[in-house]
Order: sequence, then structure tokens, then C-alpha cells
Amino acid sequence: MTLPANQPPPPGVLLRLTDVGKTYHMGEVDVQVLREVTLNIYDHQVLAILGPSGSGKSTLLNIIGGLDSSSHGSVWYRDREMTRFSPRELTVYRREVVGFVFQFYNLVPNLTARENVMVSTEISRNPLDVDEALDLVGLKERADHFPSQMSGGEQQRVAIARALAKNPELLLCDEPTGALDYATGKRVLRLLVDACRKLGKTVVIITHNAAIAQVADHVIRLRSGEIVEVHDNPEPAPPEEITW
Amino acid sequence: MKVLDRKLVRELRSSSFLLLAVGSIMAIGVSAYAALGSAYRNLMTAQRLYYADCRMADFTVDLKKAPLADVTAVGALPGVVEIRPRIQFLATVDLENVLEPINGIVISMPNERRTVINDVVLRQGGYFTDRRDNEVILNDAFARANKVYPGMWIHLLLNNRRQELFVVGTAISSEFTYLVGPGSMVPDAKRLGVFYIKQTFAEEVFDMQGACNQVVGRLAPQVRERPDDVLRRAERLLDSYGVLNTVPLRDQPSNRFLSNEIMGLRAFGIINPAIFLAVAALVLNVLMSRLAEQQRVVVGTFKALGYSNAAIFWHFLKFGLAVGAMSGLGGCLLGYWLAGGMTAMYDTFFEFPSLENRFYADITTQALCIGLACGMLGSYHGARQVLKLEPAVAMRPKPPAVGGAIWLERIPSLWNRLTFPARMALRNVLRSRLRTAAGIFAAAMGATLSVDALLLAFETNYMVDFQFELIQRSDIDLTFKDEQGRDAWDEAARLPCVDRAEPLFDVSCTFSNGSHTRKGAITGVLPDAKLMIPRDTEARPLRIPESGLLLTKKMAQILHVEAGDVVEIRPTKGLRETHRVRVAEIADSFLGIGVYADIHFLSRLMNEEFAVTGVQLQVRPGDEQRHALYREIKQLPAVQGVSARADIVRNVKETLVKNQHVFIGLLVMFAGVIFFGSVLNSSLVSLQERQREVATLRVLGYGPWQIGNLFLRESVLVNGVGTLLGLPLGYLLNYGIVVAYDTEMFRIPLINPTQVWLIVIVLGTLFGCAAHLVVQRSIHKMDWLDALKTRE
Ligand SMILES: Nc1ncnc2c1ncn2[C@@H]1O[C@H](COP(=O)(O)OP(=O)(O)O)[C@@H](O)[C@H]1O
Ligand SMILES: [Mg+2]
Repeated sequence: MTLPANQPPPPGVLLRLTDVGKTYHMGEVDVQVLREVTLNIYDHQVLAILGPSGSGKSTLLNIIGGLDSSSHGSVWYRDREMTRFSPRELTVYRREVVGFVFQFYNLVPNLTARENVMVSTEISRNPLDVDEALDLVGLKERADHFPSQMSGGEQQRVAIARALAKNPELLLCDEPTGALDYATGKRVLRLLVDACRKLGKTVVIITHNAAIAQVADHVIRLRSGEIVEVHDNPEPAPPEEITW
Repeated sequence: MKVLDRKLVRELRSSSFLLLAVGSIMAIGVSAYAALGSAYRNLMTAQRLYYADCRMADFTVDLKKAPLADVTAVGALPGVVEIRPRIQFLATVDLENVLEPINGIVISMPNERRTVINDVVLRQGGYFTDRRDNEVILNDAFARANKVYPGMWIHLLLNNRRQELFVVGTAISSEFTYLVGPGSMVPDAKRLGVFYIKQTFAEEVFDMQGACNQVVGRLAPQVRERPDDVLRRAERLLDSYGVLNTVPLRDQPSNRFLSNEIMGLRAFGIINPAIFLAVAALVLNVLMSRLAEQQRVVVGTFKALGYSNAAIFWHFLKFGLAVGAMSGLGGCLLGYWLAGGMTAMYDTFFEFPSLENRFYADITTQALCIGLACGMLGSYHGARQVLKLEPAVAMRPKPPAVGGAIWLERIPSLWNRLTFPARMALRNVLRSRLRTAAGIFAAAMGATLSVDALLLAFETNYMVDFQFELIQRSDIDLTFKDEQGRDAWDEAARLPCVDRAEPLFDVSCTFSNGSHTRKGAITGVLPDAKLMIPRDTEARPLRIPESGLLLTKKMAQILHVEAGDVVEIRPTKGLRETHRVRVAEIADSFLGIGVYADIHFLSRLMNEEFAVTGVQLQVRPGDEQRHALYREIKQLPAVQGVSARADIVRNVKETLVKNQHVFIGLLVMFAGVIFFGSVLNSSLVSLQERQREVATLRVLGYGPWQIGNLFLRESVLVNGVGTLLGLPLGYLLNYGIVVAYDTEMFRIPLINPTQVWLIVIVLGTLFGCAAHLVVQRSIHKMDWLDALKTRE
């Protein structure tokens, strides 16, 4: 399927990447971290990006999330070309469209769980109720605890609540279970899958763990910055049933 | 409250020590601005109101004697608005139960109350009545000091006659805001009084019917700033009546002291706060850069969540603003309090109708803004770092710090000789450049301020000792009304208990060399005088030439003469004939524009066999003897003034010492805050930065004291280098001040006492160590296991 790069993607496609490349200049040498990545991200689906460490997953996610810019190719967000966004528009994009979940949670240490969620509700146009967001992740009772008083899994759930509370279209998760133990990891995955199935979000999960990719509708496999495989899961597995 | 503000408040609270360190330096800068500014304004306002109230004269002309009808011409000169002829004499005062002789300035006032130039402000009692001729109004400080009240009688020796005067009131006047007698530098209310008597009574007792010996006047605003032309014309007009002295307001002694103080406040009001605020901004910079570094991930997260750069920048800037606002508020309070203290101190020197410490909304606002600006400046760099941070980069773990070799390592001969801890300290110091620079700068400024202030204190003491131990060695000085002959000297020598008496012959005159002219006086001394020894700046006695004049360097410069040249002198008294005299020698002296000559030579020059205008006495010790002497002196009609050196020295020293204690106390506190604050800040920041290193060392078996030692070494290194740099800087600043204060009247000696350097080094070390104790406590309390677990 060839996609015209200079036109907006059809309805149902949230984001379209065409020929995206990323090169870092390290002194004399150029390191090409991503090359010719072409990809559609569809509404209301779970997309897994699978690849070994260093394959360029985070770089790709950052480009999708408007944190980083591509050196080549084009990215369309619905009918707008992101690669032409001004820094200001990128900020608004991040604020209105994207919710981030990080491997190490990245909570603000001296804010309580509730306040960490407020960090995102305060700037978004159409936020969820803070307590509702915490309720979604099952942490209503821990709302007044500081990150240091919570386990890794709980912290990650706060981070998911923070991402969801903005009510974004797109949830970007960079190794969300990478720092968590097996059982906790599954619980977090369930929350992410529910965000898609129940709340209708589009969820992108980055992982180096092939088992985790089983929960996704789509899986793309990266190696050395290139997409080496794309496949669909007509019947994604529920998180509770996968093992690793 | 916005959630980011909550984060801010918690961060502020959790770094209270750091904030205290930065905040106190900043607060002192702000308080110095507010205090010096307010004190300046207090004095300025008091001066302006008081001068207006009293219709302060813009000039004074001292005459021998002039008919009232003839001086009115001065009032008609263009630029002169108004004049007032008056009678003014010096007198000795005899108070019951005060044995020491007292000097008085006697001034005539209108019989009936009306507004005049150099008017008085009544404090107690009232103005003259028409019940008696011999009524007197005393200056208030003298009355208070000697417990003389309205309704009492006092005795003055006026024109060789003992007069009894009835005290009707006490008053103050702007012309004596700072009242110092001849030969002193600080007021002595007990020994010097001002006595206002009725015009008619003054005319009668001084034989001045229809005449005056002083003209005070006011000038039009346009000429007030440059009165010299008008005054020259006035002088010419009055020349035939013997102009002794023409003094524009700027040279009027009381005004000059007061105005110098006001100008000094203004200068210090800018320099001092600037130093503190520069240090504070730099120290805050260190703190903020660390904070920005520490919060990379948080910042990245905020950016990922969609916070704009502006919002994040503002958030960080607010940290500095909060520090600035707190320091500003604290500084304003402290400043108001300090201004109160300073103003109260001024109130003991200067006599104003009211000298209040007011609250100035504009100064306070400015001070607050300065605090905020300083906070903003101090956090700008850190906040900019945050801005530059690319979100994608911020989220990645930071690459390990570049641990390259420092330049010192390239000198193996030196490097290899250093111990391991010394190498570690050097590496850290040389790698964290901003912090090291801030630490050195702060310590240098702390040292500069201390050196400068201590030097000034030492110099003042040196000057007092120089003047009163080396130059003036007499116990009692008598000045006569007019020129006297040798018998006056003999008579003084025969006074009871006098061991030695030496004559002085002062001749006021105008010196000129071509177009260069200058009013001054020649002091005639005995060539082998022991009680008044003029000295040069090296403290060597000046060699009084047998013939010709000895000029101080400054006078020689003013007149553009060198040794061997001839100057013209024209005495302002007596025959006022012009003489041509050779300049025999030129010497450098601290005190003014003195000119000396052998008393015999000077007498001959004035066509006298031997003339004296004063005698200096060395008196046998003991109160009994002295009292006998005082009793006799009070009876001597020719004596116009008496000064007891011991009293003056004691008074000067007491006053100076009292003020110096306050001054040095404040200085030590202020400089200490700089040393303490900067060491504390830099060590705590360094400790935070190196939590993992510390934790690792703990795992390896280092104890908290050993780790503390590593930090101490760095502090000592930075603080020490800064302090050592500050020593010459302080000397330079002091040099600048000495040059700035190098007036015709006197010059501050530039001295170089070892104690000053030692004191400052000790100060720097002590405060640095005190700060280190706080750091040590943090090391002891540090949860190093936790530090090992946390992800940078
Ligand atoms: N700022 C950068 N400069 C240079 N190289 C970078 C930079 N950021 C990432 N890389 C490199 O790009 C590659 C891909 O990184 P990343 O996207 O983080 O991979 P992944 O998330 O799959 O582990 C890595 O080799 C990494 O070293
Ligand atoms: Mg990654």
C-alpha cells in the first residue's frame, strides 16, 4: 500500500508516518537511529512497538509524541502535518492530544498522587475529574500519598491516571512495565488495554518483550531503526492470560 | 493554589538551609540599601527642614568691626537676597560647680523675637523679655549637659568683664547642628556652649554700638551653588573693615560635617548593597543551576505533558522570585531597624529639632524590587538551562559527567606530590567552575568589606593618636583674644602647677603667588617646641626653618610654589601690609594646608618684637593642682579659649570607640553572613550533587567525619583563595576611599597593619568552619542507603 505523503490520512487514521528518519550527529559521525519508517496508527486500537534495546523505539515514540523531531519524512496528525508544527503548536499537541506513560513513572517527588494528576488536569482543556482518574487506576485511597510512599506499580498507576486525566486521544507508553514485577506489570497492562477498549483511546505501547505485544491489535517490530515486521492480531490476548 | 506552586513551596521548605544562606546575604544587601537610603533621607530631610526653619545662611563674613550702615551694601550686591549683621565673640564661661573652663560662642540676637537669618528654634523657656538687658538663651545640649535651666544665673567673661546673665530659655540653631570646638572632631556639649544675647546688650559689652563683626547672608538660588564670585565682591566691599574670613555654606564647619556624612551615606548606600547583591545573585545562581540540573526529568515530564516553555521558565524563575521576595521583606524590616539605629546614633552627634526614622514607601518599594530583581537575576541562568533542555534528551538518563583530567594533572611533578584527598578536592573545585567562581567571589567580597572597614577603623585611631599623642602634647591650650606680648607668655608660665609653657603665634593671612591665592594661617612656633610638634606623614618632626616658611605639600600645590620660591602674604588683621616671604621648606602632612614658621621670625615679619596669640601648657598631674590652675585661668581676662587636651582626647576616643564597636560589630556580622552563606550554599549543593559518591564512600567504609573532611578541604580551598584575593581588593577599596576623602582639611593616613590581615583571615576561617558544621550535620543525617537506590 502506498501512501501519499503530502496529503492527510483518511478518516480512522490518527497518525500517519511516512518515510520517517532520524539521524544524530555525533561529532564527525552521523548515527542513523530511524530510517524509512512508514506507519499508520488507527483510532481506538492498541499498537505495540517491539524491538531490542537500542533499536530506536523510544526515538520513534518521542517523534510521535511531539517531543522530538524527525530529520526526514513526514508525520500527519489527522489533517495537520506535525512535521510543520511550530514549537508552540507542538506544545499544544502534547497538551491536548497525547498522554505519556514512562518506564520510570517520572512522578514529581514532592507532590502527592492527587497533585501529580493535577499537574496534567490543570493544563488540559477537557480533563477528567482528578479523583475519577485515580479511581480508574484503583488508587483513590492513596490520593494523598507521596511517590516515595508508594510501590513501583502504584507509582506507574498514578502515572497512568495522570496521562488519562487529560482525556487525550493518544496514550504513549514507553516500556510501561519495564521496571515492574510480573504481577504488577500485568495489572498495569490491563489498565492500558482498558483505556483503549473502555475509554476509546489509542494506545501505543513500547516493549522489548514479545509476550507483552500479544495484547495489541497491531504489532510492529523494529530492528536497528527499521521496521522489519508488521502484523495484526485479530484476537488480542487479555493481559491476564499472557506469560513471560 | 496551583499545583506547581505547591511543588515550589515544598521545595522552598525542604531547602531551608540553602535558602537561609542565600537569603541572608540578599537580605543584608536589601537592608543595606533600605537602611542607608532611609538614613540618608532622614538626615537630608531633617537638614532641609531645619535649614529652612532657621533660614540658614549661605555665607558668613567675619570682620574686625564694621558700621552697620556700611555693611548694608553687601545686601545690595546682585545675587545676595538678604543679610544680617551680627556680633559674635568667643568667651570663657564660668559655671558654679564646674571647675574646668568652658568655651562659649556668644552671638547677638534681636531684642524682640523676629525671624532672622541663622535663627534659633526655642526648646525650653522663652525668648528675651524686656525685664532685663542681660538675658541669655543657651544652646540646648549645653544646658542639658551642664544642668542649666531657664531661671538660673550664669557668668560669662565678656570683653574682659565678668557679666552675670539670666537664662531665659534654651534653643538650637541649624548653624550648630554639629557643634565642635576648635581642635576637636566630635561635639562636647559640656565644654562648649552657644550663648545668644540681646543685640543692644552685645553692642554695649563689646563696644560695638552701631557696628557688627560678622555678616551672615542668604543668596539667590541661582548663585547658591557657586557663591565664590559674589563672596569675592562682598569681600572687596568690606575690605577696609578688615575681613578676617569669608565662609560659604559648603565650608561652614557644621554644614560640612553634616553634608559629608550625608554624601557618605549616599556613596555607601550604593556600593555596599551592590556588593552584597552581586554575591547573593551569584550564590543563588549556583543553587538554581543545581536545581535545574536535579529536575531535568521533572522538566522533561512537564514538557511531555504539554507545559509550555514559558510556563516552566516562569516556574523556575518564581523560585528565585520567592527567595527575592522573602529576602526583600526581611531586608526591609532589618533595614528599617538599622536605619532607626543609625538615625538614633546621628541624633547624638547632630542636634536637630527632630530627627526621626521615617518609613519611606518609595525606598521600601525600591528595596523590595531590588530583592526581586536580584532573585530573578540569580535564577535566570538556571531557568534558562531548563528552557534549553530538549524534552527528548531530558527524559534520557544523563550521560556520566565528563571526568577528564584537570590542567593541574598535566604538571606531574606537582600533582604527584599531592595526597589523595587533596587531589579529590582540587578536581572537584576545578571542575565545578560556576560554583568555585561564586565561592571565590563571595569570599573575596567578604574579605574586601572586612579589610576596608577594619582599615578605616585602624586609620581613624591612628589619626587620633597621631594628632593627640605625637603632634599635640600639651595638657592645656590657651588662646588669647588679640596679639599679646612676651609678658602674656611669662604670665602663663607662672600659673600654678605649670611645668612648661610654650608660645604660639597664629597669623591669619592671604597667601598668593601670582594668580594663585589662598586664605590660611601661619603658625609661629618655638624651633625647639616640645608641646606642639608639627610632623610629616612619616611622623618625623618638621624642621622649622630659622627664616622663611614651611609649607605643607597641599598648600604648596595650591599656590604652585616650590622650596626656594617666594610667596606674598597679607595678614587679615592688624596693619595688613603685604610681605614677600621665602618658602624655606615643603613637607607632607595629614592635616590640611598648614604653614609654619619660627615664632621669632614671624614676629619680626609682623613688625613685633615678640608676639603670641596662644600658650600651650604642660601641667603637673593631679586633680588638686589642675583645679587651682583652672581657677586662675578663669580670672585671666585676655584668654578667649581654653582647651584641655586630655578632655578632648577622652571625648574623641570615647565617641569613636563607641561608634567603632557598633560599626565593627555590624561589619563582622555582615561579612560573616557572606562567608557563612557562600560556604554553606556551595557545600550543600556539592553534597546534593554527589550523594551517590558519598553513598559509595560510605559503602567502602568511610565515616561521616572522613567524608566531611573531603568537603571541608574544598571549602577551605575556595574560601581561602577568595579571602586572600579579597585582602588586596579591600586595600584597593580603602585606597579609593582615602583618595576620595583627601580634602584640604585633612587626609586619611594610609596604613597597613598586620592585624587587619590576620583578623580578616581568622574571620573568613571561623565563619567558613561554622558553615561547615552545618554541612557536617547534613552528612551525618544523610540517608546514604537511599541515595544508592535512587535513580539519578
Ligand atoms: N541524543 C542522542 N544522540 C545520539 N544518539 C542517540 C541519542 N538519543 C538516542 N541515541 C541513540 O539512538 C539509538 C536508539 O535509541 P532509543 O530510541 O532510545 O532505543 P530504544 O528505546 O529502542 O532502546 C541508541 O543507539 C541511542 O544510543
Ligand atoms: Mg527506550
